[in-house]
Amino acid sequence: MKIMENKARFYIMLFLVPSILGFIVFSLIPMISALYLSFTNWDVIGGAPDIIGFKNFIDIFKSVEFYRVMTNTMKFISLYIPGILVSSLLLALMFNRTMKSVAAFRVLLFIPVLTSWIAGSIIWKSILSGQYGMLNNLLAIVGIHGPAWLTDPKWAMISIVMVSIWKDLGFFSLIIFGGLRSIDRTLYEAAKIDGANAFQILRKITIPLVTPTLFFVLVTTIINSFQLFPQIMVMTAGGPMGATQVMVERIYTYGFRYFEMGYASALAIVLLIIIVTVTLIQMVLQKKWVFYE
Amino acid sequence: MNKNLKLKDGSVFFVLAGLTIVSLVPFLWMISTSFKGAGALMSIPIEWIPKEVTFASYVKIFTKLPFMKSLFNSILVSVSSTLLTIFSASLAAFVFAKFDFKYKNLLFTLFLASMMIPIQVTGIPIFIILMKFGLINSYVGVILPTIFNVFGIFLLRQYMKNISNDFIEAAFMDGASFFQVYWKVIIPMSIVPITTLLVVNFMNYWNDYFWPLIILTDPNKMTLPVLLSKLNTQYTTEVNTLMAGSLVSMIPILVVYAFAQKYFIRGIQEGGIK
Amino acid sequence: MKKLLAVLTVVLFLAACTPAKAKEVTIKFLNYSSNGGQEATLTAMVDAFEVANPLIKVEVETLGYADYFTQLATRVAGGQAPDVFELNIENFRAYADKGAIAELDLSKFDISKIQPTTLKAFQIGTKQYGLPTKFSNVVLIYNKDLFDQAGVAYPTSSWTWAEELAAAQKIRALGTDIYGVFRPIQTWEFYKTVVQNGGSMMNADQSAFTLNSAQNVEALEIMIARINTTNVTPTTEQLGGMGDWDLFKSGRLGMIVTGIWAFNDFATNCDFAWDIAVEPGIKNHATHFFSDAVVVSKDSKVIAAATAFAAFLSGSPEAALLRANANWDLPVALTDEVIAAFKAVVPPANKQAVFDSLNYLVMPPSLEKFGAVADDLQIYLSKAIAGELTAKEALDQAQALISGKY
Repeated sequence: MKIMENKARFYIMLFLVPSILGFIVFSLIPMISALYLSFTNWDVIGGAPDIIGFKNFIDIFKSVEFYRVMTNTMKFISLYIPGILVSSLLLALMFNRTMKSVAAFRVLLFIPVLTSWIAGSIIWKSILSGQYGMLNNLLAIVGIHGPAWLTDPKWAMISIVMVSIWKDLGFFSLIIFGGLRSIDRTLYEAAKIDGANAFQILRKITIPLVTPTLFFVLVTTIINSFQLFPQIMVMTAGGPMGATQVMVERIYTYGFRYFEMGYASALAIVLLIIIVTVTLIQMVLQKKWVFYE
Repeated sequence: MNKNLKLKDGSVFFVLAGLTIVSLVPFLWMISTSFKGAGALMSIPIEWIPKEVTFASYVKIFTKLPFMKSLFNSILVSVSSTLLTIFSASLAAFVFAKFDFKYKNLLFTLFLASMMIPIQVTGIPIFIILMKFGLINSYVGVILPTIFNVFGIFLLRQYMKNISNDFIEAAFMDGASFFQVYWKVIIPMSIVPITTLLVVNFMNYWNDYFWPLIILTDPNKMTLPVLLSKLNTQYTTEVNTLMAGSLVSMIPILVVYAFAQKYFIRGIQEGGIK
Repeated sequence: MKKLLAVLTVVLFLAACTPAKAKEVTIKFLNYSSNGGQEATLTAMVDAFEVANPLIKVEVETLGYADYFTQLATRVAGGQAPDVFELNIENFRAYADKGAIAELDLSKFDISKIQPTTLKAFQIGTKQYGLPTKFSNVVLIYNKDLFDQAGVAYPTSSWTWAEELAAAQKIRALGTDIYGVFRPIQTWEFYKTVVQNGGSMMNADQSAFTLNSAQNVEALEIMIARINTTNVTPTTEQLGGMGDWDLFKSGRLGMIVTGIWAFNDFATNCDFAWDIAVEPGIKNHATHFFSDAVVVSKDSKVIAAATAFAAFLSGSPEAALLRANANWDLPVALTDEVIAAFKAVVPPANKQAVFDSLNYLVMPPSLEKFGAVADDLQIYLSKAIAGELTAKEALDQAQALISGKY
């Protein structure tokens, strides 16, 4: 849009000032500090850090742990992303119906989102405990012998995915619902007059027009997946046998438990590079599937 | 046709009801736990409904803990932070959605990238910056960092992009100032995402405890999550009290959400988006 | 200009002449252990201190345990460390090694009553960097009713793992969901158990790891056999996420090796008779020791006052008695009065076992990075329990990884 270019330039700057200032002070400077620290051996509580070059990065790529952590993260992403996208879209479509009771469901299904991660994780930890947990007691009623959800390395990450979807579903379905509501209703009426059936409307109108929102959800959920943290800390603390160790959990452990903030910062930089790359790829690919009016 | 639609509504209702029950089971378990005595927490077989209902946990949070004071602190911090975030994010989102300027994409990518560094690493540098500004142990120290919220900018931008340029151009033609366009055209048309952002941010700030824990060292300034985190003692966690406290502390967010949800729908009907 | 100078001179003169009143100082004290029930006891200690030292005021801040160390590290990094703060034994070493805390000058204080092992635990070389306030050790706690049902004699302080196993098997036979004994398999348990078998995690001067020594492998095999062979100890699956304490409290566990901090909880929540004995060893006795200490920040501007407060919390009979009467772990200043107060609270009847155990205290390798070593070793121990690796393979691999890394 090219209205009153010169006048606009001043206002553009003015409108960006709060965010840019906040960005510089609370993000850019800390990020640069983290970058600097990643080349040091800073131990948090001791004195000034020494520069040790690329040692932290070399150590990261030489460690067995890093690849285990990446594999765990990929496992989470490959289950969580499709799960949350499909389920929130379906739920949003249901929310979008002109049914009276739907408003009540929207409130009720949002309750998990409102629960703090700490309380939510503690409750799930008790529900998922192997022999005496509520879930396995329920499964036993229908004759299924449930696994030790959080203590069996095969099931631990799956359990984390399950709990994460439980917590996030209400939120992302609401976001997508917001996107659905902003679709011009006249388009639907026009399509109906043209004799399109429900499936055709969904495919040709609803889905394309909600793609900006889906894009937003995809980018956000992927970033969240790489930053998975509170549920892991409370429910498994990275165990069993490292099966739920993920990046932020490692960063926290190295920084605050082992006092190796230099190494932790290097991990954060690696994480940043990974996420930026993934996000940039998504930004490029969005042109292929995201539809802006 | 009509009959068909009704039948479909019925099945949708059924699915939604089923999903709601599944989602709320953990929450019901929280409620049940909060009414249990310490001994009943781990009994075998599990007590779905406490055999002996006790209000001890609720009595404890209101009498033994400075609950009301923390409630006030939480409201103060969360409301101010939410308003600050919405204000600054909507300004930036408007500019990102509707105008071209030099380095726009670079700036936006930088913003997005900043979302990706975890607080566990930037926490200490931010703490040191706030300390240099003399903001440790002040509410401002907790509120100010929320001025920059990429999630908010990104969310609002995605919606604002879909607002037709015609509205904006028409307003400029009528002689509206830049700020008037933002305030009278863009904001009313973005009520839906702004309400979403309001709920989400209020909730995040309400539940956040990393910052308040580190910044507010005076026990009189403690927020609710910090108060509740004190239920983790060296050897045990008082799960029943923790659950009671978490449930009570959820009430304000539920109120905000229930209200926003109503407003949300009205905003859609009254705003420019049909 | 001259006038201004004159005024300034007068002002400075007046300022210099103000009688040098003894200044009141305020110290900040950050702690976690009073949280959740002992706040009033701590307040009583602070009051007693302020009465004895009228020129020192103490500002107490109490945090939850879960986030205490994150918080503390952030404040220390930001130069906002409290003057006096609490550290557990795991974190003490790091704070001392990295120079975040001050060496304490205790020449003016009476520390003679402090239990020597606890005092030594907070020394680096011969320098005292922290003062213990309370400590606890580990004993064998047993369910008397289950012993009676199985017709087994109660444990004595001369028991070894062999007698323990024999009793455990008879108790295990009482029912499918009744277990004999519980000792967790994790690094913190492992370093103690290998000492009981004559081994150790590191060589004598702590310059190299000896994780896969023959004694260690044997000890691990014995530990695992109790789960997988005799099954006197429940598997994780059988335990099903239930805590070991909860299993004991439910009356389905014959013996548990755990800390004396369980006494309060068990006294309230067990509806059967129980007592304690010194923890049995394999070849030697060895038992755990935990302690919390107060330290003084090296950046404190009131180090003398801070040290006085730390010494009061640690070595003074007043603070110790307040602690003993409040049943807040074991005070380190073990006066006769304190010991009598501690023994007066029953069950357990055999509280003498707690004091007998003090002869067998072992400490984890004094290693700055022990936390990281513990986490790495844990993964291999878990693999051995799961049967993915034999005890020997697990320890060989752990030895290779850990000695390469640290």
